[in-house]
Amino acid sequence: MQPSILFSGAVALALVASPVVSAQGKGKAYEPPRLSDGKPDLNGIWSGPAIINNDIQAAKVSGKSVIVDPPNGKIPYLAAAAAQQKKNNTDRNQLDGVNHCYMPGVPRLMYMPDPYMIVQTPGFVAILSQFMHEVRNIPVDGSKHLENIDLWQGDSKGSWDGDTFVVDTTDFNDKTWFDAAGNFHSDELHVVERFTRTGPATITYEATISDPKTFSKDWKISLPLSLNTAKDAQILENECNYKKEGPTVTEGSRPDAHREAKN
Amino acid sequence: MRIERQRTKMRNRFWECSAGAIAAAATAVVFWMSGAPPVKGQDAPPAPQATPQEGAPKGGGPGAAKGGRGGRGGGKAPAVPAGPVRRLPNGKPDIQGYWNAGGGGLFSIEATEARKQIGVNAGKGIVVDPADGKIPYQPWAREKEIDLSENHTIEESDAHCYTSGIPHMVEAQSSFQILQPEGPAEYVIMIWEYMHNYRIIPTDGRPHVLPSNVHLFAGDPKGHWEGDVLVVDDANQNARTWFDIAANFHSDQIHVVERFTPMDENRIAYEALIEDPKVYTQPWKVAFNINRNMTPNYRNMEFSCWEGEHDVTEKYTLESQGADTKNLPKK
Repeated sequence: MQPSILFSGAVALALVASPVVSAQGKGKAYEPPRLSDGKPDLNGIWSGPAIINNDIQAAKVSGKSVIVDPPNGKIPYLAAAAAQQKKNNTDRNQLDGVNHCYMPGVPRLMYMPDPYMIVQTPGFVAILSQFMHEVRNIPVDGSKHLENIDLWQGDSKGSWDGDTFVVDTTDFNDKTWFDAAGNFHSDELHVVERFTRTGPATITYEATISDPKTFSKDWKISLPLSLNTAKDAQILENECNYKKEGPTVTEGSRPDAHREAKN
Repeated sequence: MRIERQRTKMRNRFWECSAGAIAAAATAVVFWMSGAPPVKGQDAPPAPQATPQEGAPKGGGPGAAKGGRGGRGGGKAPAVPAGPVRRLPNGKPDIQGYWNAGGGGLFSIEATEARKQIGVNAGKGIVVDPADGKIPYQPWAREKEIDLSENHTIEESDAHCYTSGIPHMVEAQSSFQILQPEGPAEYVIMIWEYMHNYRIIPTDGRPHVLPSNVHLFAGDPKGHWEGDVLVVDDANQNARTWFDIAANFHSDQIHVVERFTPMDENRIAYEALIEDPKVYTQPWKVAFNINRNMTPNYRNMEFSCWEGEHDVTEKYTLESQGADTKNLPKK
């Protein structure tokens, strides 16, 4: 509704590549369906481009890098962290927590290959993922972050910036990655996500990622989330079954995360 | 909040260490219920077609009498104000918020004598039909239940962090949250802290569409409102979940019809009719009350149980070999 909202803060430059700007360029912002409190309706079954889960730095969506800031599309690692990422990538089958059925963290859950339902009420938003029945609890009540605690999915707080739903998440542990290629963070991670409805079946999702222990500066991703518009669409179960095979998980023994529905 | 944090940290540590992984089988139960012993028996079962009542029921339900966070806290019962059922703008009951089930069926949903070898105390359970409180197993199934409970508790799916089955999910010991989002599609959403379980229940009367060979841990819930009663028909469950720690079980032919009857703004009468011709001689029913969690600023925390948990199996194997598993190294 308010074009200027989309350019809030000092991030306008980074938005050049995002679909939000294309809409802006035409001078027309998409008018989303709204709930009775006037907020855009984000309810529904959504999913992100799963290719990002393979390697967030290499993934292209509609021909563009997912990382929109810095402009080179690379994560601005500190030197030691860059070396660690390479090591992680080499041993990814063993080290990726998702291979052990651990929670994928944020923002990774938003582009895992499984869909999730966004449940929106005035004071509380939940994101319910088909992947390992993960839940993101997002109070929208002005409450403060917890202190002195580390969580796999972090502690999320929601707010509205005009028609954009903003989720500020802190209190992460250092055990989750951004993808299956070893791109990682420390427990200083801070993620600010922005959900903006930009089409009848599209949310433009942006996340600004801060972690002074791991990155030389903040970086940002932008990607489209797609609504499943099938009338009888429903979330099923993707239960993760970690089968231990000796002291290490070896190449080729990726746990058989399987859809019970196919059994 | 400090207590919450400590509790969560304890819980995270609990699940993150190998030794802690025995939790779902037995220890967690002690841990979780330490402040609140399981409810022995329940109030009289709710009338199936009970109409919402106005005014405070004396003493509230069994869960209400416990007070404290998630029904696990100690202390005196808070007075439970109980006005009329809240309403959404569309006139349907507004049952949003945090709720506690009594946890009365946690160890054993059926009436049982004490079974010390599997950590189950004597209790009335939550089976209200048949009247003797016993699950009407076919003879082979009763034998199997005894064998499972005495020799194979390791197979409980909760111990491996899979989604819980129905109605076990509802009777679990932790608080759960109900959300009723607006929108063209009508849903009642239930989210548990325990196992980060959730249920997405469409209430627009849509039918089951999954083929009968699709089996899910929590089944496929389809709901509708009968007056003020939320009726949920849950089909397509798999055979891998149990009703409780005492290994009361079902097959993949289980069919559950649940009725959530709002009694006042802070109390829901719950009952579930359970059918499974492969395992039982007749349909049977559980019932208990669900009470609003009155703790101010309550919220669900993260329950970091990971699926496919293998350490519990390893620990049991080591123990069966006589090993001391108290100080297993962290992985």
